[in-house]
Amino acid sequence: MKNILLVASREFIATVSTKAFIIGLLVMPLMIGLSAIIFPRLLNPRNFKTSGEVAIVDPTGRAMADVRSAFAPERMAERRDEQARQILNQAPAAVQQMAQTRSPQMAAAMATATAASDLRLLERPPTADVQKEKAWLLEQTDTRHLALIVMHDNAVIPGTDNAYGSYDAYLPANTDDRALGEIQQALQEAIVNARTRARGLDRSQIESLVRVTRGRSITVTKDSERNTVRGINQLLPIAFIMLMFMGVMTGGQAMLTSTVEEKSSRVMEVLLSALSPMELLAGKMLGQLGVSAIVLGLYIAAGLALLVSFALFGLLNPWLIVYLIIFFLLTYLTFGSLMVSIGAVVNDMREAQSLMMPLMLLLTFPLWVWFPISMNPNSTFSTAISFVPPVNLFAMLIRVTSTAPPPWWQVWLSIGIGVAGVGAALWFASRVFKIGLLMYGKPPNFATLIRWARQA
Amino acid sequence: MHDAILLKNIHKTFGATKAVTDLDLAIPRGALYGFIGPNGAGKTTTIRMIMAILFPDSGELSILGHRSALEAKRRIGYLPEERGVYRKMRVGPFLTFMARLKGVPEADIAGRIKRGLARVGLADAERKRCEELSKGTQQKIQFIAAIIHQPDLLILDEPFSGLDPVSSRSLRDLVLEEHARGATILFSTHVMPHAEELCDHVVMIHKGQKVLDDPVDAIRRRYDPRVIEFDPLDPHADLSPLSAIPEVEDVIRTDHGCKVVLRPGASAPSVMPRLAIAVPPARIEIARPTLEEVFVKLVGA
Repeated sequence: MKNILLVASREFIATVSTKAFIIGLLVMPLMIGLSAIIFPRLLNPRNFKTSGEVAIVDPTGRAMADVRSAFAPERMAERRDEQARQILNQAPAAVQQMAQTRSPQMAAAMATATAASDLRLLERPPTADVQKEKAWLLEQTDTRHLALIVMHDNAVIPGTDNAYGSYDAYLPANTDDRALGEIQQALQEAIVNARTRARGLDRSQIESLVRVTRGRSITVTKDSERNTVRGINQLLPIAFIMLMFMGVMTGGQAMLTSTVEEKSSRVMEVLLSALSPMELLAGKMLGQLGVSAIVLGLYIAAGLALLVSFALFGLLNPWLIVYLIIFFLLTYLTFGSLMVSIGAVVNDMREAQSLMMPLMLLLTFPLWVWFPISMNPNSTFSTAISFVPPVNLFAMLIRVTSTAPPPWWQVWLSIGIGVAGVGAALWFASRVFKIGLLMYGKPPNFATLIRWARQA
Repeated sequence: MHDAILLKNIHKTFGATKAVTDLDLAIPRGALYGFIGPNGAGKTTTIRMIMAILFPDSGELSILGHRSALEAKRRIGYLPEERGVYRKMRVGPFLTFMARLKGVPEADIAGRIKRGLARVGLADAERKRCEELSKGTQQKIQFIAAIIHQPDLLILDEPFSGLDPVSSRSLRDLVLEEHARGATILFSTHVMPHAEELCDHVVMIHKGQKVLDDPVDAIRRRYDPRVIEFDPLDPHADLSPLSAIPEVEDVIRTDHGCKVVLRPGASAPSVMPRLAIAVPPARIEIARPTLEEVFVKLVGA
């Protein structure tokens, strides 16, 4: 046992003291943090500036006045603000509070961004030739020609069949969807206004009649009640899967690399003169488990801190963390032992890559199926895959973190299968490891590995 | 008392290749044995079986009284043929790691490392990374790692390969020091003069089979080539009187004199006075067969 701990300690220190590990450990949260800050700003529709000319032909002339007011810059800014308010209403309370207490500079910056649209409306005569106007659309000028809108005759007053029409929008090939969306919103507002006025109705009265503000959703937990945060239940499975994937890959990859290095630097035989192959294998796995535990622990702590800061901690079932730790341990032991055995049979990292391919496919398989499983956690596919090693633990983790967790017996049956899978993987890995350590030359194929496992 | 190493009927094959066949070997405690043979003879395979890194297909082993070296690893020092160190590790931590693996008491580790490094002239290397050292220096570091726990049995696989003459002599002295301390030493080499210089007993292996297992002196006696080296006092002297002696079969000219080959059954000590009378000598002595000559004689040129 002492030798195992000595090897584990050397492995752990050799890995965590490298610059690559420290940088890797910090880079990931840094990237996530930066993405969280930068991407919403980069993708914020409020930052998009709709700029160009929109030509409109209204054969009846009934909607033109309302189109004019709907396309007025201040009205377009108001609509953007309204959209932003609606999005903010869906966000957690902490985010809403942050938005309300934003600095004056930030508010000013957002206000500037709000008045970003620069649309010029070109009113064409009711009798304008649509074909000629289409040619205008394709003209190359300094000012972009964004759209040609042709109102239907029955857009404001229904025809003989009592049906309303709308409009046709002709667009050049490279129209931005966001610009089209903004134009459509303005047209919708204009047509509705024109119709209500034609009917002698008051639009504000109708809106107050048809608008039902979304009711307050309250999530009730044992200890408290809080506003429901939508989306977290969809994010939880992929977050857990990513945590487990990162944990297994960190330790497994380091174990593979260190074994290949020990072989290529010929230090392996020196080690084997002091300890048995099994002590070496156990020490390596224990040491790198410590490395993975650090990575996993840090990311879990960061995730929990984030939940606490947004007052969402109560939404997380503590059992999920327990399951994550159990599932991670079993998955690490399964994949880690296979990865270290690959390290033992190859001469360099290039050879390791080809043998790693099937393992990587298995490891990334859950990332492909998380969405169908989390959408239908109790479907036949989801249930079946929860019992197929070695991917069963990934699948079960997705299911237990989903909105419809499976019954407890399925969870523990999957864990039991995972334990059996660990036993099989360790049996295979220990035999291959023992033989492969001092083998140099052409790396074995899978058939040879299986033969070694049988013979050892 | 048990032998330090005892092998009985050891067989080892790799696929269709017979690496070691029917090998018996008994090395008493405190002995200094040379394990010699050409490249590919089976020396490293045998040593790996002794170290329980490989396992024989059949046969019995006893290492320091145990059925496997695994049970006595902390009493064995091993310098493998394929040498290596953790390149990124510093010398001090590497030796500390090896000392801990070998069960050296924590309080003794630092002192032993300092003494070991000083002994091989590397007192200032403790803080250096292993990758900064030359191959020969790395080899010295590994030798220190092999003896840091003062083993009862020291197994060295081609310890002098790749070393310059000065380093080779320094390592040879260390081996002799370990032997003087009481360690049993088995070292393999394909360079016969190394074994001849160091060992009191030699085991020769060829194509996986033992062809010789005797003390060096006994080997020389047994494989006496019946040759007397003769340098005349007068370099230009006529050597034909030597050929006239009945026991002399042939006289072969050399740079300084000649080699006198005796007929089978002739006694060198009784012929030597008559040679000296026939031609006054500057030097006359019985030629000692080298291990290389013995090996060639045993396995054929």
